[in-house]
Amino acid sequence: MSVTTHGAVAASVKRPRLSATAQHALFAYGLVVPTVLLLLGLIGYPFLYAIFISFTNRVVGNAGHFVGLANFRFLVNSPDFRASVWNTITIVVVSDAAKLAIGLSLALLVNQRLPGRGIFRSILMLPWAMPAFVVFLTWRVIYQPIGGGLNLILTGAGLYSGYIDWLGERATALPAVIVATVWRGFPFWFISILAALQTIPGEQYEAARVDGANAWQRFRAVTFPGIRQVVIITTLLSSIWTANSFENVWLLTQGGPSDSTMVFPVLAYFGMQTMQLGQAAAVSVTMLPVLAILVFAATAMAQRGAED
Amino acid sequence: MSRASSWTRRHILGASAGAAALAIGARHGALAAPAVQKGSTLTYWGGLIFSDQANKTLTDAINKWGADHGVRTEVVMINQNDTVQKVSAAIASGTMPDALDVGLDLLIVLARQGVFLPVDDTYNAIGKDHGGWLPPVDKASNLNGGRFGIPFGISGNMLLRRNDVLSKAGFPNAPTTWAELVTQSEKIVKPPFFPMGFCLGNAGDGNTQVNVLQSYGGRIADDSGKEAAIKSDATRAYLTWLKDAYDKKLFPPGVTAWDGAGDNNAYAAGTIAFAANTGSVGIAARKDDPDLYQGTLYSALPGGPKGVISPIGPQLRSIPKTSKNPDGAKALFEYLAQPGYTGAYYANAIYGPVLANEEQLSVFGGKDPILAGLLDLVKKGTAPGFPDVYNAAYADVMNSFLIPKMIQRVVVDHWDFDRAMDETQAQIQATYNKYT
Amino acid sequence: MRRTLLLNRLGTYAALVFAALLILFPLYWMATTSLKIPRDILRTPSLWPHAFTWNNYRILIENDGFLTAIRNSFLVSATVTVISVAISSLAAYSLARFRTRFRGVIGRLILFAYLTPASLLFIPLSIIMAQLQLGDSLVGLVLVYLTFSLPLSTWLLQSYFRSVPRELEEQGTIDGLSRIGALLRIVLPLSAPGLAAVSIFTFTGAWNELLLALVLITSAGKRTAPLALNFLISSDTLPYGPLMAGAVLSSVPLILLYFLAQRFMVQGMTAGSVKG
Repeated sequence: MSVTTHGAVAASVKRPRLSATAQHALFAYGLVVPTVLLLLGLIGYPFLYAIFISFTNRVVGNAGHFVGLANFRFLVNSPDFRASVWNTITIVVVSDAAKLAIGLSLALLVNQRLPGRGIFRSILMLPWAMPAFVVFLTWRVIYQPIGGGLNLILTGAGLYSGYIDWLGERATALPAVIVATVWRGFPFWFISILAALQTIPGEQYEAARVDGANAWQRFRAVTFPGIRQVVIITTLLSSIWTANSFENVWLLTQGGPSDSTMVFPVLAYFGMQTMQLGQAAAVSVTMLPVLAILVFAATAMAQRGAED
Repeated sequence: MSRASSWTRRHILGASAGAAALAIGARHGALAAPAVQKGSTLTYWGGLIFSDQANKTLTDAINKWGADHGVRTEVVMINQNDTVQKVSAAIASGTMPDALDVGLDLLIVLARQGVFLPVDDTYNAIGKDHGGWLPPVDKASNLNGGRFGIPFGISGNMLLRRNDVLSKAGFPNAPTTWAELVTQSEKIVKPPFFPMGFCLGNAGDGNTQVNVLQSYGGRIADDSGKEAAIKSDATRAYLTWLKDAYDKKLFPPGVTAWDGAGDNNAYAAGTIAFAANTGSVGIAARKDDPDLYQGTLYSALPGGPKGVISPIGPQLRSIPKTSKNPDGAKALFEYLAQPGYTGAYYANAIYGPVLANEEQLSVFGGKDPILAGLLDLVKKGTAPGFPDVYNAAYADVMNSFLIPKMIQRVVVDHWDFDRAMDETQAQIQATYNKYT
Repeated sequence: MRRTLLLNRLGTYAALVFAALLILFPLYWMATTSLKIPRDILRTPSLWPHAFTWNNYRILIENDGFLTAIRNSFLVSATVTVISVAISSLAAYSLARFRTRFRGVIGRLILFAYLTPASLLFIPLSIIMAQLQLGDSLVGLVLVYLTFSLPLSTWLLQSYFRSVPRELEEQGTIDGLSRIGALLRIVLPLSAPGLAAVSIFTFTGAWNELLLALVLITSAGKRTAPLALNFLISSDTLPYGPLMAGAVLSSVPLILLYFLAQRFMVQGMTAGSVKG
């Protein structure tokens, strides 16, 4: 395959021509330059800044000085630390699993040529159609013990009449947060997987059917490989976002009651409110290694499955 | 002269240092008002409060002042919930306005870092012109011997009560002690009506429990402001009171996860009898639910065995050191202290007065129960943090909601008092250690 | 044969309707609240309004410059989406098709953008924006949102691009197209579902974002829709009526977008395109 060079190379100027592979590589790098530049410029500095100040006692208005691991020590010794780790893992794993199950099932359902699928698809994207804080304030009201939508329905359906304190009791607070989080977040999975399903050529299903495969075997042989990459990336991104997610916990329970829903972003917020930037940064930096490992693992899996 | 030090390198419009006083209204021999440079600009960040009318009064007054003095004013109202984020970002990026409204707690933290200009001259001038600052306000705004903000209103919690329900049950008078409040509650509790609408969650309202704790003699830290002192018999007495009331189901379900609006919503829903609130509940009721408004009375917070702890929360106007128009700002502050403006503002806001002659304003005359209650608060309220030392560590403990967390350990996790107190003691000590 | 198809269809519809009901319940609450008078919202909560009122919408539109905020949101989100899809398509194409030495590193590096939450990044970001003279401007907001949308778009588009058979592009270059031409004429059209998905994500993300808008935008006239909604909440008072009315209004453009975009999610665009 010949590679045509773009732009004139004046034949009269004796300039060493770039080899075909070098031009190839230049072109390839050139395509990513805008993205990388923007990211390095706008995120690179803040990212490094955040890591740097976590080792200082910086407050707003005063750069502070280097304090080594003091912020981290304070964090690890606080009673909320263990709860935060446990809660974050629980929220991420459970909501990922739920969103995957829901997103996948719904995507498979609306992928078929049904009349009215456009309407269903639009409806299924609605949890995304408003800012996060509105969503969680709404859920807070739904969870209200007295007069909240959930209890109203339970009472109306004759299932229970009482004042279940969904958000204020240890047993139900975390599940309540997870349910609201899943409700808000599944459209992301739904759409990613749906788009991935679309790009699987129909012939592959035909071929499998001709070979005598049943629905489950078709899923395993055709569907799953087709969406595997997208599912891996979606899982990775959704996990990172959920781990860093603040509004879902803060607007529902503020990290309470006791430490039943305490997560790292809420701890960081406390530090922020006291203008303790170093402390707040340390909380986020604590999560960094774990999230970075996730990135490496997921991208390795994704690249492996897509060897060109 | 302190004014010289207020000039920053970016003060392009060099107002002449000894300019003759440009009187703003009649002034009698007070300190020369700072010269206002015509053609300068002034950006002002006002504190957004619930009353649209009050916000408009402030904006219009500032713009009118600007028009009268040839200053181009730009007023932006900042939501109180977002002030910390906005101010942090603005300080870091050097985009602070020329003047802004700020609460005392934020002012204290930032003044320590030298973010604000000292405004003693303006403070003294205003005090002199208006009969002097009210003593509690004067004391609270004195930060290590300097004034970094001009108070313009006092906020604070009052006890709201459903007088219609209580007087019918035989309690025409407000409870004066927390124990009495429990007694009254026991008589009127009737699900879904749960009388004690006091937030026990991680919110500013949850920190009202700190005041209850202190009224029982409990302390966050000792008098030096360095050693945690939460574990004590006084705290135990407080926790006994609390657990007793909670076990009697006098608190509505959900209080352990309430946010700042929890008590507002519950009171408006008519499901609680008592709330500790700044008056926003009353204003909302006046607009949306006249029956509820009529049935509500306001009084001081009840006391414990060691007295009443009812902190005042001053709101102040301040000038960042990076301000490009500090003289204009100071002149504006003096203008905004005039009774013509303050009368109009107080009528629609929920603040108590700060100057002696403001007490005489008709709005505080007693017709409006909310404002009457706020006047009472100013006169009888306690200093912020009292009896604890209100330092940065104390503010940190408040911002981390360590006391509501202790309460939640007791009522949600059913820990015994000592275990909960031990955990909180350790946390408070670790927090205080950060600041040594 | 027809009976199984019918049963299949019925089953599918039943499942979809069930899912739709679960999803719609909170939205139903929002919509009905926006039509209730304030006293009813809190004092007499119910699943159906006792008395209907358009007042909440009226307050919002008349007093608060809300429609300007929606317009601002639209400008910002549309700009971010168009630029983001363009830039990330190029980057995704490179990462998907060219085996360069630093491909893996670049791929991972751009994901690091998401590792620190916005609640920490907003301070250094506002410093950068101030230095670029882009503080309190919609352009600055576009730039910031663009940066946050690129990693997601790039990675997802990579996956979608990879599923386009290579033979098609090779065919194209044999027929005389340049690599860019192959991208534009062959890969992009066949990845339409992926592009639609990425557009939805980017537009929605930009439309709903609050914290960065809060910190970077100060003037009232430049507020975006979430900011305008946020301003309804002052300290401890939550005006549910106007807030829900605002949420309903601000969701209309998004719903329109979703309805339009999902029409591009059609299966089998690559069907039958590989000849032989």
